Amino acid sequence: MNTTLVRSPLFAGRRWPNLVPPLRWLALKSCALLLPAALLLLWHTAVVRQWVSAQILPPPSLVLETLLTLWHSGDLWFELSISLQRVLIGAAMGSVLGLLLGLSMGLSRRVEAYLLPLFQAISQVPVLGWIPLLMMLVGIDETLKYLVIAHAVLVPLTINTFSGIRAIPPSYLEVAQVYRFNLAQRLRRVILPAALPSLFTGLRFALTKGWIALVTVELLASSEGLGYLMVDGRQMFQLDQVIVAMLMVGLVGLVLDKGLALLETRLQRWQRQAF
Amino acid sequence: MRSDFLSLRQVDKRFPVEDGELHVLDDISLNIRQGEFISIVGGSGCGKSTLLRLLVGLEQASGGSLQLDGAPIEGTDPERGIVFQDHRLYPWLTVEDNVLLALLNSPLSKAERLQRVHEHLRLVGLEAFARAWPAQLSGGMSQRVAIARGLVNRPKILLLDEPFGALDALTRAQLQEELARIWLAEGITTVLVTHDVDEAVFLGDRVVVMQPRPGKIGRIVEVDLPHPRHRDHPRLHELRSDILRDFARH
Ligand SMILES: Nc1ncnc2c1ncn2[C@@H]1O[C@H](COP(=O)(O)OP(=O)(O)O)[C@@H](O)[C@H]1O
Ligand SMILES: [Mg+2]
Repeated sequence: MNTTLVRSPLFAGRRWPNLVPPLRWLALKSCALLLPAALLLLWHTAVVRQWVSAQILPPPSLVLETLLTLWHSGDLWFELSISLQRVLIGAAMGSVLGLLLGLSMGLSRRVEAYLLPLFQAISQVPVLGWIPLLMMLVGIDETLKYLVIAHAVLVPLTINTFSGIRAIPPSYLEVAQVYRFNLAQRLRRVILPAALPSLFTGLRFALTKGWIALVTVELLASSEGLGYLMVDGRQMFQLDQVIVAMLMVGLVGLVLDKGLALLETRLQRWQRQAF
Repeated sequence: MRSDFLSLRQVDKRFPVEDGELHVLDDISLNIRQGEFISIVGGSGCGKSTLLRLLVGLEQASGGSLQLDGAPIEGTDPERGIVFQDHRLYPWLTVEDNVLLALLNSPLSKAERLQRVHEHLRLVGLEAFARAWPAQLSGGMSQRVAIARGLVNRPKILLLDEPFGALDALTRAQLQEELARIWLAEGITTVLVTHDVDEAVFLGDRVVVMQPRPGKIGRIVEVDLPHPRHRDHPRLHELRSDILRDFARH
């Protein structure tokens, strides 16, 4: 057996010992598609054999057709762009606030003493629980969506920023003290880089939560967006449209998360540089 | 050269603990000549690190006074450089940027700083690794970078807290030679804390032997051998046995 294949202990070249590395990589990656392909086949069979009525579960071909129609008419992109815009604005608001909250609680025991208990209490209430109250306060316009997303993003980001800062080894801060860094220098040179991994974990989790929260609020109160597309499809009994919207929600969520992961690896080159 | 360049007078240190206070250093008095190499040797927990932390300004004395070059020691200052046992390089910065960071608040221009950094990386023999990440370095190389960082501000004294304690024996011996060479080249007043008696006598002009609970100076041993020294010199062995006998008694 080729010794260069023995890298990852799990896939130590046992499965495809004769393939060159790029092909083996491809083989490994395509495993991820096996299950979806099987499900697709099951779905197709279920419709063709009429295990389920086509009114309830449209065949995959119809879903694809609807997807293309909606895409070409611009309708899909319209709803998608509305949702994206909402999540970006809401997430930006929540991120800025969450970073500031996490930073100030992480840097000051006093701020922590004032804010953390209240914050933990508030974060126990699920995002959905806030929607009725917020609806009364700000109505069902864009503000509601921004606030719901911001809140969904705020909680995980604050917690992760806070705990990331608290986990910084005191020895790193002592070095900063030896060279007499002021607060701005400490933040930029030590605290932020040291807390970056946990900050990114928070951000990725936050964005996923924010995206889910948005779809939820669009289901409940909206006349635009991917969530609305689902409601609309259900009301008109067009399950193909519902499924198209679901696919888009999943796809966007995946892209957002992978995009951040990519950014993270780029920002943290040093972590991959060990011999 | 003044004989009380670094001067400690009746230094006392206590830490508040749950049930009262912990007396860590008691009546430490010591004068260090300019350019001298002082080794402080003692068992674990006898207050060696605390003493260095007082000197670098990370802790404040509970009593007594510490002076460097006539001025009292208050807080940290670039005129006092330190190397810790764990190299404490920032993993997100390259070797070069780690050393450069020590000059963040220096009045030098950017070009001068870079020049200074490379000069000191050359001094520790790591110029070729300027762009490497700390994760790519061995323990010995990391400690060399830490020494370069400790020296890059051209401090008046260099403080080292068991800098080679975590290294294997071969690397440790190599870095001891290296430190002796750097000290000779730079002529910088140096205080080395160690629990390794061999290291203490090989490097020090004088060896301060500390005793525990509370930490105080047992005695001070003059190492009457010129530098550079040979590790196998019989006189070093004599002194070493002498000091070790001291520890056996306590
Ligand atoms: N910040 C602190 N608070 C309380 N006790 C401390 C503190 N720093 C050190 N000590 C105690 O002081 C004693 C001496 O510690 P240290 O100076 O690290 O010894 P050494 O470096 O010789 O091993 C130890 O008993 C240690 O637990
Ligand atoms: Mg110590």
